Amino acid sequence: MTAPLLEIRDLVTAFHTPAGRLPAVDGVSLTIDRGRTLGLVGESGCGKSVTAMSILRLVAAPGVIESGRILLGPPRDAVGAAATDLVTLPEPRLREIRGGRIGMIFQEPMTSLNPVFTVGDQIAEAVLLHRPVGRAAARARALELLRLVRLADPERRLDEYPHQLSGGMRQRVMIAIALACDPDLVVADEPTTALDVTIQAQILELLAELRRRLGTAILLITHDLGVVAETCDDVAVMYAGRIVEQAPAARLFANPLHPYTIGLLGARPGRGGRAAGPLRTIPGMVPPPQLFPSGCRFHPRCGVARLPDCAAAVPAFLEVEPGHFVRCPFTRPST
Amino acid sequence: MSETPSRGFWAEAWARLVRKPLAVGALCFVGLLAAVAVLAPAIAGTKPVLCRYKGRIYAPCLGYFHRSLEPAIFARDRFRGTYPQNLRDKDPESWAIWPLVFQDPYRAVRENEWPGRPANPAKGDGHPNRLNLFGTDQYGVDVFAKMVHGTTIALLVGVVSMGLAATIGILVGAAGGYFGGWVDMLSSRVTEVVMCVPPLVLILAFIAILEKPTIWHTMAILGATGWTGIARLTRGEFLRLRQSEFVMAARAAGAGPLRIILRHVLPNALAPVLVPVTFGIASAILAETSLSFLGFGPPPPSASWGSLLNDARSNLSMWWLVVFPGTAIFLTVLAYNLVGEGLQEATDPRLREARK
Repeated sequence: MTAPLLEIRDLVTAFHTPAGRLPAVDGVSLTIDRGRTLGLVGESGCGKSVTAMSILRLVAAPGVIESGRILLGPPRDAVGAAATDLVTLPEPRLREIRGGRIGMIFQEPMTSLNPVFTVGDQIAEAVLLHRPVGRAAARARALELLRLVRLADPERRLDEYPHQLSGGMRQRVMIAIALACDPDLVVADEPTTALDVTIQAQILELLAELRRRLGTAILLITHDLGVVAETCDDVAVMYAGRIVEQAPAARLFANPLHPYTIGLLGARPGRGGRAAGPLRTIPGMVPPPQLFPSGCRFHPRCGVARLPDCAAAVPAFLEVEPGHFVRCPFTRPST
Repeated sequence: MSETPSRGFWAEAWARLVRKPLAVGALCFVGLLAAVAVLAPAIAGTKPVLCRYKGRIYAPCLGYFHRSLEPAIFARDRFRGTYPQNLRDKDPESWAIWPLVFQDPYRAVRENEWPGRPANPAKGDGHPNRLNLFGTDQYGVDVFAKMVHGTTIALLVGVVSMGLAATIGILVGAAGGYFGGWVDMLSSRVTEVVMCVPPLVLILAFIAILEKPTIWHTMAILGATGWTGIARLTRGEFLRLRQSEFVMAARAAGAGPLRIILRHVLPNALAPVLVPVTFGIASAILAETSLSFLGFGPPPPSASWGSLLNDARSNLSMWWLVVFPGTAIFLTVLAYNLVGEGLQEATDPRLREARK
């Protein structure tokens, strides 16, 4: 068992607003192994995007990483060297990591590209930021990357501006930028949410294929369980700033244990889109950070909660079967 | 869609701008003014554009831009500013290329200074005629020559003061908008303080203090007080763009703050900032003419359009002293405003989306 590529330990990221301290991410621990895809799922506002932004320390003020460690393993050619803690890394060194060892893909391909520069310029810039190459070499690399992400007619696209491309094409360009310097990890923050369904499938297929070919690990952040089922090796389910369940994807879908995960999976339409009766829902809403309940944050909405225990203490994150962790003391695998 | 040629933002904006006849007309007029301003000594003057004197070639007309540019040899040989006779007398071999109109913006042309040409009429007798296209003022100085050379002053005031204002405004606004926090606090308060300073009053105060006020002092003060609007706009643009996804994407790709400001934010903020700069040029020209009209312009002999209007004040019967400079000021200010408006429409993304 080799050391993981990225290990997040007890990450706390809070926003200090006039309304008080809002812990959007409250003690998240995650590990991503080399070449694997980890899906981070949860509803809007559960802290999954803030977790992603925290990895590269891109959380905008008034957000602050208060505690925790984000350990990035050594580069591929230096396995065995010590891991780097991104939380304490000085800004100039961090800039080498951003785009160099960790690439990022954003949700909105329509606005994630600079409108005044050509596609080729922007990919070449990402290369030039980290590689000691000339303009011509960077441009050649940009063309190679556009081929890699299967953009049609790459020679012409190189000199086009973002507004001339469709959403799916732009997202391919964003992926090309993220991959420009052969990163070990790509953080994809809802990369398909803004795209229509057929394009979504193409982009996911592309990501899966690139992972196979390049060996890049992917942290895929999404609220779409279907996306997770198709692309991820492992899944972590997040609720109100905490991870509530983590397991290999197949295991989680076959045997969800946390009441929240069970609720989420139950709220999906059946295969083929035909629902057998009305969809089940989880009662209530995700509370905003200033109203997080004490103890288990899911207990006000939970069907199996036992008061006052569930409201008294934060449940431990227990390994109930190998590789399957749950933050709920009342469920056991039904094997 | 697939066949549209690849064009950048500025090319798109340009294409939209040239579709508006009024804006194109104004742009052509501004271009014409710029040409007149640069070529003024070759259009009207009494110094040769080029001449050969004692075996060497000189360009004495440059003396109109600055005294030191006039070759020293002509002062040594006691030309005293009159070239045609002196050239012929002191070097029979000499030749010269003369300006289109042989008239001086700073003095009246004398009897026979140019062979067979009478002296400029003075004291209200100088109606527009063949030799004095726009007439002469009370001292006999040709109004056309004055106006041609006044173009240089007017445009210089507009461009230099707004160039200064744009530089200060963009720096202050960019710093405040990008870094936020106390930098923003400080720059916004400074902007508000400067905004309260009335530039004309400040200029009048400086003129009262300075021993020899020049046009450059006026430009400096107009520039040093005229940047507030640009700073506020730049700040707003930077605030908006700092939050934008592509700036976040650039940071995620490992770009440093300087690169993000210069490459990702500034080019996107420039278009909206260009519009107030254009309007600012118009108002700077207007401010300079107002000062000259009130008698606080550069000291005589000066060719400023405003000082022509000032001359007209005490000689109201000489209508040509009002009509020609007045029209020139009006058209110039109108042209800059039309260009500014055209730019605004061509670069405003909201209007662009609406057209699709």
